[in-house]
Amino acid sequence: MKGLLIKDFKLMKEQKNFLLIILIITIGMSLFTNDLSFALGFLTFIVSLFSLSTISYDEFDNGNAFLFTLPITRSKYVIEKYYLSMILGIGSWILSICIISIVNIFRNLLPFSDVLMTALFILPFMLLIQAIMIPFQLKFGGEKGRIAIIASIGALLLSGIVLVKIASFFNIDIIFILNHLPVVSMGMLVSILIIVAGMLWFISLKISMSIMNKKEF
Amino acid sequence: MLKIEHLQKHYDHFSLDCSLEIKEGCITGLIGQNGAGKSTTFKALLGLISMDGGNISIFEKDIHDITDQDKEDIGVVLSDSGFSGYLTIQDILPILRNLYKRFDETLFLKQVHRFQLPLDKKIKDFSTGMKAKLKVLVACTHNARLLILDEPTAGLDVIARDELLEILREYMEADETRSILISSHISSDLESLCDDIYMIHEGKIIMHEETDVLLSDYALLKLDEDQFEKLDQQYILRFKKESYGYSALTNQKQFYIENYPSIVIEKSTIDEIITMMVRGKEK
Repeated sequence: MKGLLIKDFKLMKEQKNFLLIILIITIGMSLFTNDLSFALGFLTFIVSLFSLSTISYDEFDNGNAFLFTLPITRSKYVIEKYYLSMILGIGSWILSICIISIVNIFRNLLPFSDVLMTALFILPFMLLIQAIMIPFQLKFGGEKGRIAIIASIGALLLSGIVLVKIASFFNIDIIFILNHLPVVSMGMLVSILIIVAGMLWFISLKISMSIMNKKEF
Repeated sequence: MLKIEHLQKHYDHFSLDCSLEIKEGCITGLIGQNGAGKSTTFKALLGLISMDGGNISIFEKDIHDITDQDKEDIGVVLSDSGFSGYLTIQDILPILRNLYKRFDETLFLKQVHRFQLPLDKKIKDFSTGMKAKLKVLVACTHNARLLILDEPTAGLDVIARDELLEILREYMEADETRSILISSHISSDLESLCDDIYMIHEGKIIMHEETDVLLSDYALLKLDEDQFEKLDQQYILRFKKESYGYSALTNQKQFYIENYPSIVIEKSTIDEIITMMVRGKEK
């Protein structure tokens, strides 16, 4: 497992410039826009999906065939990818909280508790995106995987819109409700979201394992 | 060490039915044309593809029971796959260190220097020979008991091939209980290296013989029509019509030397044996 993680971090060195640009954009956004939540999510989502590019590197030039002759099982390979996504996701999430908090000290846009609450709301979405993306990438590979990225983001947006439409049909103003939820309920809501997303993430892990175990190289 | 019994794999235009055995301390060669089934056999015994039938056992264990621990005892070279080309040797060092408990880093680095492989150059920028040597070094330097090498010499010039075979000889000399299964379509590689050779054609093993026997007892008889008619054909494996009459492959050279002194009998190379086994007719 550790060997695989080292391999992936070595492969990600290839993208250090891209990572640097993402970091600069994040800092830029936090400095020059008033919407700190976007800057918070941006870094977390993009970096946590770096694990997908390592899957592409593995597949490139039929590299998977050799990879699975090494002393690792296919299940361990999958677990390592989820593990890596989690390390990257949480790592960049903490980093973005730090960046935003520091910028916030100078700009004083939000109380720290609000920054933290927004950050907590990003976590379940990070898990959800990983849970959707990784099995797609393992099943379809790089090219078709990209289509899957677009499709899944589209599906998420669509389900959001449908949810709002349904709510407005029943005369429920979701934004109003969210804005007027007492802080305790917000805490409750985010906990439930994280638990549900965590469960979906775990189910996704199991699905990915069965995808990999059926593959031929 | 390794036993394959009626391994079956069916594709649309190809069916494999292969049995072979690699004994402890032996180098066994698998030889055949492109598309004969060598790589399919290798992939099946490495668990990269599913089997449609048959049994494979490695270290006396069924292939389905092989653990990560067991895989540390196997070194593998695949002709069309290896570490990502975006990594350098410097990058793969800590990977190997963490994957194999018995990775011999000193030996690995010594060999890397010996073959002048650059430590900080991306593998994708290596020459074909350098890539091939690196693959073999990776397979040889973690104290594996069994090497499974699919076309390790493919695309190499004579010097590079020689150096590579030298690495394998040294690997075997270090511990006489080690074994190698190696495939190639270049017979001279195997001729000098292997203890025994399996010949595969259209998914089936058509011959298995010790290399010494192949080189000493097999021969090509060159016969005119009359000689061919009168020949005792009990030791003729295959024959072929030629412009001068017939050529025939035997595995009992001595019999024909003693009983037919007038016949032209030539020592056969492994290439000639393959050609006869594949193209010749059975009597």
